[in-house]
Amino acid sequence: MEPVIDAHGLAHEYPDGTTAIRDVNLTVTEGERVAVIGANGSGKTTLQLALGGLIEPTAGSVEYFGETTDAEAVRERLGVLLQDPDDYLFNTTVREDIEYGPAQLGQSQATAARRVERLADELGLDSLLDRPPFRLSGGEKQRAAVASVLAFDPDVLMLDEPFGAVDATYQARIQQRIADHDGTVLLFTPSLDLVAELADRVVLVGRDGTIAADSSARAVLTNRTLLADHGLRPPTTVRLFDDIAEADDIPLTVESARAYLNGREP
Amino acid sequence: MTGVIGRSVESITGALRAVFTAEQVAAADGVLQRRDPRVTLVAVAGLAVAVMITRTIAVTLVFAGLTLALAWLSSVPLRRLLARAAVVPLVSALIVLPQAVLLPGEVLASAFGLAVTDAGIAYVVLFTLRVGVGVALLSLIVLTTPFSAIIAALRQLWVPVALVWVIAVTYRYLFLFFDELQRLVLARNSRTRGEATLRGGWRDGRRVAGTFLLRTLDRGERVGRGMRARGGGRPPSPYGRSQSVDAADYALLVVAAAAVVSSGVVRWGL
Repeated sequence: MEPVIDAHGLAHEYPDGTTAIRDVNLTVTEGERVAVIGANGSGKTTLQLALGGLIEPTAGSVEYFGETTDAEAVRERLGVLLQDPDDYLFNTTVREDIEYGPAQLGQSQATAARRVERLADELGLDSLLDRPPFRLSGGEKQRAAVASVLAFDPDVLMLDEPFGAVDATYQARIQQRIADHDGTVLLFTPSLDLVAELADRVVLVGRDGTIAADSSARAVLTNRTLLADHGLRPPTTVRLFDDIAEADDIPLTVESARAYLNGREP
Repeated sequence: MTGVIGRSVESITGALRAVFTAEQVAAADGVLQRRDPRVTLVAVAGLAVAVMITRTIAVTLVFAGLTLALAWLSSVPLRRLLARAAVVPLVSALIVLPQAVLLPGEVLASAFGLAVTDAGIAYVVLFTLRVGVGVALLSLIVLTTPFSAIIAALRQLWVPVALVWVIAVTYRYLFLFFDELQRLVLARNSRTRGEATLRGGWRDGRRVAGTFLLRTLDRGERVGRGMRARGGGRPPSPYGRSQSVDAADYALLVVAAAAVVSSGVVRWGL
């Protein structure tokens, strides 16, 4: 598989002297599902912005699709969803915000219109399309922001906490939409319960902004000591089954936990 | 901050939000909403130019009537139109008010050694009326046409990209700027009790001013990233809402052209 994101020696220091990330080497290949986890303030968001080409790293570089180090040249292939939907929704109606990306990136109006209708249906935005984004609730804004990044159908999704403030019904729909994405996904989150559902590989950003671990979801999510050292708790299923199942059998998702329990029934 | 300053912030933010709810009027079915946005821009701006050319109250009143008729035919609530168009002429009236006593003419009244003349009053009334009608006409464009359609029409009319960019960004950031200020005031109010005195309000205002500046810069930067993440680093290129220009579009353009010519003839003669 071709690398779609290839970061070398990436570092970023803010003007106040805070070093958010340092010496990050990360290669993500086509079709991979990667969760980037870490405690609050560990530098996940800064890493997302640097990988998405939205901030200039103070050191290192990122190569995209083995072609270029200029993110703007491949902007239509990178879907970077920012953490706060208010930073993402700045148009006068939800429809205009969802159309903004496809329009700016030169995609056809007819294609964009079809995508808007489909996404509005999937994410429950039909009745909100002609409303100003500032009138929406937090969860509705989040859904509109997710629709806005999916609207231009990028090859790589870089999503920073895409489930914030979204209720259970729509969380499941967004989750399904991400799972169905025909491309690469990087999910930046401090919440580990959904990580195993969406990612095969987990990158742990340490408190010092370096990569503390980069391994399979199972290897990282079942390592209590590693997670505790970095201010994180294992997912609920891992904590539940820690003393019940063998390390290699610990279910990481609710579905696998149910299957495990069914298998143990007399 | 719960006092005068807080209320001022709320009213300014409320006015800006009213700009956004203009989109609801833009989605209504009406004469201007059915026009090609390029035609609406050119024709209504042409009518505003005709108003600026005129120098007689009677002609200006004709344009005022035409503006109200257009608003009515476009389902624009008159109260909303008047509320949007009232501030600028009132400020203009204050600026030109001294002309009421400075221009020579028949004295209508005098006090404190100042004589109000008929020519002076006529000038103030005409100036204020012209500004009011002009602003009302430009408000009609915003009220009946979605903002993205206006931007697309400006691009199609070959308005320089830099100017379109400035208009688009200013429109978006102006709202965000006051939204941020309102958030600060709400955060402050949630931890204060009772009505603040004017002095207390100013003191608190000074305290939050620096924070507001930093937060605004930070928010501006983050929104800028949000735009760039979706191609905002490229010139604005929203989808156009333009359709084929029909007979009604041509009729509106003819009316606007006739208004400009007539206004010029009335002022300068043939």
